[in-house]
Amino acid sequence: MKSFLGFLILLTTITSSGYSQSVLLSGKVTDENNLPLPGATVWLMPVKKGVITNAEGIYLFELFQKGRYTVNVSFLGYKTETKMLNIQGKETIDIQLFPMLQTLQEVEIKDNYLERIRKEDARNIEVVNDVFLKQNLGGSLMKSLERLPGVSTIEIGSGQSKPMIRGLGFNRVVVVENGIKHEGQQWGSDHGLEIDQFAVEHLEVIKGPASLMYGSDAIGGIIELKQFGIPSNNTIGGSIDMTGKSNNDLIGSSVSVFTRKNSLYLILRATILDYADYKVPTDSIDIYSFRAPLYNNEMRNTAGMEKNFHASFGIVKTYYLSRFFVSRVHSKNGFFANAHGLEPRRVDVTLHDRSARDIHYPYQEVTHFKAINRTEWMKSNWHIESEFGFQHNLRQEMSQYVNHGYMPPLFPNDMPFPSDLERQFDKYIYSANLKATRTVNNKMLVTSGLSMEHQNNRIDGRGFMIPAFEQFSGGAFIYGKYTLSGNSLLHLGVRYDFGAIDISPYNDWFESPNETENGIVNTFLQRAPALSRNFSSFTWAAGFNYNLEKLLLKVNFGKSFRMPIAKELAANGVNYHHFSYEVGNPDLSPEIAYQLDIGTELTSKYFAIGITPFLNYFSNYIYLNPSSEHDQLYGNGNQIFYYTQSKVLRFGGEIHAHFDITKSLKAGMIGEYVYSEQLSGDKKGFSLPFSPPASVLLHLKLVPKPFYFIDKPYLSIDYKLTASQNQIVPPEEKSKGYQVVNLGFGAEIHLKKQPFTLNFQVQNMLNQKYYNHMSYYRLINVPEPGRSFILNVSIPFNYKIGT
Amino acid sequence: MKRYHFLFLLLISFALILACNKEEIDDQKPEIDLDISGAFPHNCDSIYFDETFVFKAIFSDNTELGSYSIELHQNFDHHAHSTEVITCDLSPVKTPVNPFHFIKSYTIPDGSSEYVTNLEIEVPNGNDNNDFDEGDYHFFISLTDKEGWSTQKGLNINLLRRTVN
Repeated sequence: MKSFLGFLILLTTITSSGYSQSVLLSGKVTDENNLPLPGATVWLMPVKKGVITNAEGIYLFELFQKGRYTVNVSFLGYKTETKMLNIQGKETIDIQLFPMLQTLQEVEIKDNYLERIRKEDARNIEVVNDVFLKQNLGGSLMKSLERLPGVSTIEIGSGQSKPMIRGLGFNRVVVVENGIKHEGQQWGSDHGLEIDQFAVEHLEVIKGPASLMYGSDAIGGIIELKQFGIPSNNTIGGSIDMTGKSNNDLIGSSVSVFTRKNSLYLILRATILDYADYKVPTDSIDIYSFRAPLYNNEMRNTAGMEKNFHASFGIVKTYYLSRFFVSRVHSKNGFFANAHGLEPRRVDVTLHDRSARDIHYPYQEVTHFKAINRTEWMKSNWHIESEFGFQHNLRQEMSQYVNHGYMPPLFPNDMPFPSDLERQFDKYIYSANLKATRTVNNKMLVTSGLSMEHQNNRIDGRGFMIPAFEQFSGGAFIYGKYTLSGNSLLHLGVRYDFGAIDISPYNDWFESPNETENGIVNTFLQRAPALSRNFSSFTWAAGFNYNLEKLLLKVNFGKSFRMPIAKELAANGVNYHHFSYEVGNPDLSPEIAYQLDIGTELTSKYFAIGITPFLNYFSNYIYLNPSSEHDQLYGNGNQIFYYTQSKVLRFGGEIHAHFDITKSLKAGMIGEYVYSEQLSGDKKGFSLPFSPPASVLLHLKLVPKPFYFIDKPYLSIDYKLTASQNQIVPPEEKSKGYQVVNLGFGAEIHLKKQPFTLNFQVQNMLNQKYYNHMSYYRLINVPEPGRSFILNVSIPFNYKIGT
Repeated sequence: MKRYHFLFLLLISFALILACNKEEIDDQKPEIDLDISGAFPHNCDSIYFDETFVFKAIFSDNTELGSYSIELHQNFDHHAHSTEVITCDLSPVKTPVNPFHFIKSYTIPDGSSEYVTNLEIEVPNGNDNNDFDEGDYHFFISLTDKEGWSTQKGLNINLLRRTVN
């Protein structure tokens, strides 16, 4: 590690040279009572340097050049202050901040931060805060984000969903929380992302390849969750969130408490959600030609619950910030009882229809534990960051024992796992990242970093899909940003990754009759032999930003890669939920993608339009190809699906426009389109699975002036038109187009001294019956949820404690 | 600036050319038809131990058929996956002792867009352990076409032993 640090320092100092340091900017940041504010963030533009005030509230910048600067001071719970300065020598600028009544989660994204992303990042990024999430609250985090251009979700019932960026999902999208890659069972289509949406404070969606910063898997994009918030000194506060949803009778609450005394702070949060079976606007579901009647429009056994706990604590010093994030996200939810996956099932109607809130077989239980330390050191032109993470993901799928294939008709009572445990995935993940950023001069910024991850995956249960495995991956990168002129920026980065996977052998726990020359021999079939593979990849990215007053242009071109996962290399089992026998390919090579991204944005006083097209080519996309064959011994008579690689071309983009009709009435439009085509292999000419259909969202928002005790009122209407999706691959079904209307309104209400925020939504206002092409249940013709009323109330509280 | 406009135009024209040049792909599933004369078994039919029956169905596809498989397994617990609209009168739920189990995959001659099965399946009376259990069984047919589209059909049948007259 020492030698690596040395290497980082060497790399980043090569480009530095002696500059006169006679230009200094310092000052004191104070609160409303003129008391020093330690820990406030001071940002200096355009040099993009940030420092944190010390115990006396003092900040200091050493600068390379005289000239015009903008200083931006922010502190949690206070209004952000911005000052334009003309610095000609040693200057002292004191800044006073005034509090605003808000919760930890209501921190507005610092304006200059958004500006920086818009103008100085060559990638296309969508930024979202908790206010957006509460106004668009869906059943799960990804569902709430679906409104963002280029973002779609794969849904599993009402409380679970998986992210998809421009038509790529599963292991091709990385979710990063506080710098650590979230690791669950991303490859599975029947469970969601284990993130508590009430704990999300700030979220960024990076569309397009981002292997440079995060290595393997970030081929389609990144969803990055960040917790910036640190409570202000000598305060105790928090918030209570209460939420209700009519469609699945969801009730939930999330409570947070925070406090800080000098340099130590603590934030706690607990969330509890409980929901019943969700309702669809139909009284029966046609699973193939089999019609399953629904009771009371309820999707039988799709109830669920979630219990989450978060703690964050740390030390805030002038040039040093160390934070710990510990969380446990736990969910239990039922699967639609009339079909386990795509397989129709007879249902004990009296048992299931007794209550809409109970959970019977089949159901799943997922627990995700996460502990992260993130430490930052800031010293003159250096910013060093380290992240260490431990995660434990446990997923269990429970169902009544059914002897599939050659399993014994009765479950033997001497097995090491219970009869109802269909599958278990038990995963331990250790991660470490180190990153150093050096502001070389006011034109150049260099970042280099190293990341490592170790995974230990165990399996259990009667069903076999993937073998147990251990996996190591590591990578190093260097990235530079250079200001060419006042309005153009150049980015360049390279990265090297290494990965190794060790797959454990697996044999069936039951015997199968193997037809040999000596007649039928009963054997415990070997599903996976021991297998070890190493992978390495060299990736790069180059970007360019061109910013004029009213026009922004960004271009990014890069190479990304993805290591094949255990399932792709070594699957050898029947997915009874899909009538498929899935066979891995131990010879797969890492998936390589090249992508060109363009972003243009034109803004004027009343109008803004952004267009973000992309062109993407995979030289060897890993694809689970449904063949025309059946297998009787290993596949129990099911159709064989082979993992293969093919060339794939994808393109598409998003268009986003706003128009201020009057001061208080705004109109908007978001359009998205993705086209994919396989250029080689068995499915040449076919699309890719789960291709999102084109859509346009028309939006109208009324934002009247505050009146009486009502602040920030809004009334919005979304009209989303989705085209039909006729580009399908086996075993998909074509999906017809549909139109959905969503309504939302809310405000901040100030009654006496206690403010609270109220958000109300009507989703699917017209109770449309439609099929979402991206739903896990699409293949058995389950329509989307019917009309739903959603209410969210947030009550913040905030007190000063003895100063 | 002009260069980027050019790049953008290039991208769009490329997309358009591609979208227009797309060749037709097969997106039709194959079909399993049990409506021809002599088709067997139908939902709720009976099959007898120690006898051979002929599985007769007509398979068709818009281009070319792939392969098929037959699976026969007990449904004593009424776990279902029948794909049929008609429900049969089932015997009471019971615990399996020595159920009959049959899994086999079959090829279809290359180039066939229509295929009539005339498959003889022998149902033995028992195995080394004992006689097979009588009762409710599932007869599950899976059919693919060359492109990998598939169709499944699950029938409820009775497996019975003929009483000696």
